[in-house]
This record gives sequence, structure tokens and C-alpha cells, in this order.
Amino acid sequence: MTIDEEAAAWAVRVDNRDLDSDPCPDLERWLQGDPRRRGAFIRAQAALSLIADNRVAGALQAAEPPVRRPSKDRRRLLAAAAGGGMLAAAGVVAAVKLSPADARYSTGLGEIRQVPLADGTRASINTSSAMTVALRMRERRVVLEKGEAWFQVAHDAKRPFVVRAGDTLIKAIGTAFSVRQLEDGAEVIVTEGLVEASCKHGVVRLAAGSRLRIGPGGAAQAAVKPDEIASALAWREGEILLDGQSVEAAAAQFNRYNRRRIEVDDPALAKERFVGLFRTNDPAGFAAAVAASLGADVVETADAIRLKRKAPEA
Amino acid sequence: MRQSRRDLVSWVGLEILPHEREVRRWLRKAGNAAHDVDDIVQEAYCRFAALTNTAEIENGRAYFFRTVRNIALERARRSQIVSFELLSELDEARLANDDPSPERVVAARLELGRIQNAIGSLPQRCREVFQLRRVYGVPQREVARLLGITESVVEMQTVRGLRLILETLARGEQAEVPLESRHESATARRDDRRGGGRLGGARRQS
Repeated sequence: MTIDEEAAAWAVRVDNRDLDSDPCPDLERWLQGDPRRRGAFIRAQAALSLIADNRVAGALQAAEPPVRRPSKDRRRLLAAAAGGGMLAAAGVVAAVKLSPADARYSTGLGEIRQVPLADGTRASINTSSAMTVALRMRERRVVLEKGEAWFQVAHDAKRPFVVRAGDTLIKAIGTAFSVRQLEDGAEVIVTEGLVEASCKHGVVRLAAGSRLRIGPGGAAQAAVKPDEIASALAWREGEILLDGQSVEAAAAQFNRYNRRRIEVDDPALAKERFVGLFRTNDPAGFAAAVAASLGADVVETADAIRLKRKAPEA
Repeated sequence: MRQSRRDLVSWVGLEILPHEREVRRWLRKAGNAAHDVDDIVQEAYCRFAALTNTAEIENGRAYFFRTVRNIALERARRSQIVSFELLSELDEARLANDDPSPERVVAARLELGRIQNAIGSLPQRCREVFQLRRVYGVPQREVARLLGITESVVEMQTVRGLRLILETLARGEQAEVPLESRHESATARRDDRRGGGRLGGARRQS
């Protein structure tokens, strides 16, 4: 083993131990064995410190290459960390410490972040999403690279607020709306004010209470009832609000947030309608509720929760 | 007043480590053989480890360069082989550049991007453990529980990850990620930054 390799092992082993007040005799012996070891050891410790430092966590987050999609495993792990609230805490610190005008924000699987932007705009970022924000003199620009975000835009007539999601540009002056990037397009829901969406199919003005779906074939605008908006945006509170959605659609919603997927094994059961309010991270609670009210069996495995029709009693 | 060990480690992490590759490149350019560069850098870290107070050091990068220059000169004197290249390079104006420059900040951020990349390209299990344990500070026991492995495996994988990252800090030549905070650069092509003299840390080793 090289000195650097040994030093890495020591740095990990002593971890956060305060060597000033709690010296480690084995380590001391190792250090004294060769004068070069002290250098290698502090270097290894410094690398750990740099990585753990919150300022760095922020920079690291900002540094995440936008082109490389994080692997499933990684997102799953980020979500696992988020479950402990640790990632969320690190994320908030990072958001504050990053350059106030330009920043990149991303969330792991199951993670939801509330981010105050420097211009007073509030953003909520849904699970597995990434966006960059650039606040400029004449324009405020957000690029939603993937996922979904909701913005309550601070009014500033001189600086339009523009969100790009794929080919779609959404422009607002002082308003609140959400944007979700879909596999083959985007979806915009306006909750307050007026926005202008432009895509290759043309330019559309959208008022509060409307939804626009942009797909390869065109853009479709529809009015949405307040209930539907509440349901569509419940994620901001970490909730899934089901108001008559099918079990299948509900399962798909939970699967956006959780590594343990809900699988509905019965086609008829999948079409059943369901009502309820759940935490995004509680697929088991949802499954139990479906089982109780629709007469299904729940089979839990390490990475899935299966819903089946109750077997007829023998 | 003597600074705590912890503060010293944190200072080395933030002010020294991100400039190591640049310092190494510069030592190579000054005509030092690869193993000499290793020795000089190693010796520099030994000196940092012996510092009692870093509060007076305004610019870690410049301090790093000065330290390795002194070590290189001492070695050259000892061996009585002093190349002209070395001397002229060592007196380069670069060392006069003690002010906090954007270059220094950019170099440090680029290095952070490299670390992020290095973490991202660790072997899967190693990466999972390392991210949870070191990036997000999840306690060892909790990581073991989450991943269904023993604590000793967590420790072993963390050590493995750290070794690979230390290796990257010294020389790993992975794809470099642009990561200025300027908005366009998030998607800018890597090639765009070539030749930008200010991005000292961004250029590749030739």
C-alpha cells in the first residue's frame, strides 16, 4: 500500500474524532513511522473535509453536469438520504450559499425542495428534477432540465420571468405557475395571473385556472378546476391528493417519489377510482388504504408493493 | 494562538487541495520529473500539517506555490543540479499574484467539479456508500442499515472511494466539467473554455 492509501484508511477511521482532545495512539505510532505520513494524512483528511463541507456540497450540487442523468441508484440513494432530512438540510444551506444570482438546483428521488430565489420569487422543486436559474438585469431565466417546478414569481415588470422546458418557453411577469417536463413535451398549470407559453406549435396566453399540455402533435389548453389544481400541486407540501384518480394513476404518482414501486397486478383494480390524501413517501399507507377500501391484498417485497385482487376464500 | 486541528484540516481542504493539480502541472512544466513532483507536493503537505495558525495566510494558492517553490529550490541546491528552466519558472510572476483573483476562485470551483465527477464515477457500491456517508454525512450505522451491508463494509468502501478521489486530485484526467456559476456555462461545451487564459485550472495537462 502506498502512503496515500494508508492515509486514506486512517482518515476514514478517525473520522470526526477530535484529535486535539482525543488523540489516537495507533495513529500517532503510524505517523511517527515515516515523516512523510503527516502530509499524506492531512491531505486525506482535507479531502474528506472539503467534500463534507456544506459550502462544497452547494458547489457540488451546482457542479453536477447537466447532461449526465444521475443513475437510478444514485437518485435512490439521494432519496434515502433525503428521507433522513439530511439532504434537505444540506440543500437549503447550499441554496443560500451559492451565488445569489445564478444557481443550479436539483432534487433526488422523493425529494422536494422549497427555494427562495434572490429576486423574491419562490420556487418549489418536485422529485427528480433539475433546473438552473439566472437572474439578469433584463430577464430572469430558468431552464428546467428535467422534472417539475412551481414558481410564485415576484412582480418585476422590467424583468420578465422566463422558464424554458425543452422547446417550450413560458413567460410571466408576476404570477404563479408550475411547469413539468414530460417525456415528449411539457405541461404548464397557471395558478395566478397570466403567462405566455410559446412552443413550436405557436404562442398561447394562459390565465389562472388553466392547463396547457404540449406534445409532439400540438398544444392543448384546458380549464382546470381548483380541486384539480390542488391535486396537481399537492406535491409542494409533500402530499399526494387523490380526488377520483384511478389506482393505476395514483400508483404512478407514488412511483415518482419512491424507490419501492407500487405495482397493480389486476387490470380491473387498476381502473378503480380512489380518494385520499397521503404523504408522497408513504406508498405503503396508500396500498393499505386501497386494500381496505377496495378489497385488495398487499404483498410487500424489498423493492415493490404489489396490489392484487383478494383471492376468493376457499 | 494555536489553531485547532480541525480548522487546519478544513483550511487545507478549502485553500490548498483545490490547487494541487495546478501546482503539480506547474512543477512538471518547470522540469521536475514525475516522482520529484510527488515528493515535493508530499513535503509541502507535511509543512502544512505543521502549521499552527493559518489566519495570516491570505491566499492559500499563492502560499502553496511559494511553499513548493521553496522546497524545489532546496532540493535543487542539495542536488546541485539546477536547470535554467526551473529557476526561470520558479521566479515567474505567477507568484507575485497574491491578490484574491477570480482565477483562483474559478480553479477551485473547477476542482470541485472534478471531485463531484470522481464521486459520480466511483464503482456503484462504492459510490453509494461514499455519497451517503461523506457527501450527506449519514452515520456509518445508518448507511449500513440502508444498504443492508455491515459497518465494516461501509468503512472499507469509504476508504476505497477516498483513495480514488485522492488519486483524482493528484492526476486523474477525467472529462472536465465546466462549472462556472454563469448561467450559460452550465451547458457550455468544454471546448469553449480552452485557451481562456484566466481559467488556469481548466486547461488540460499536456
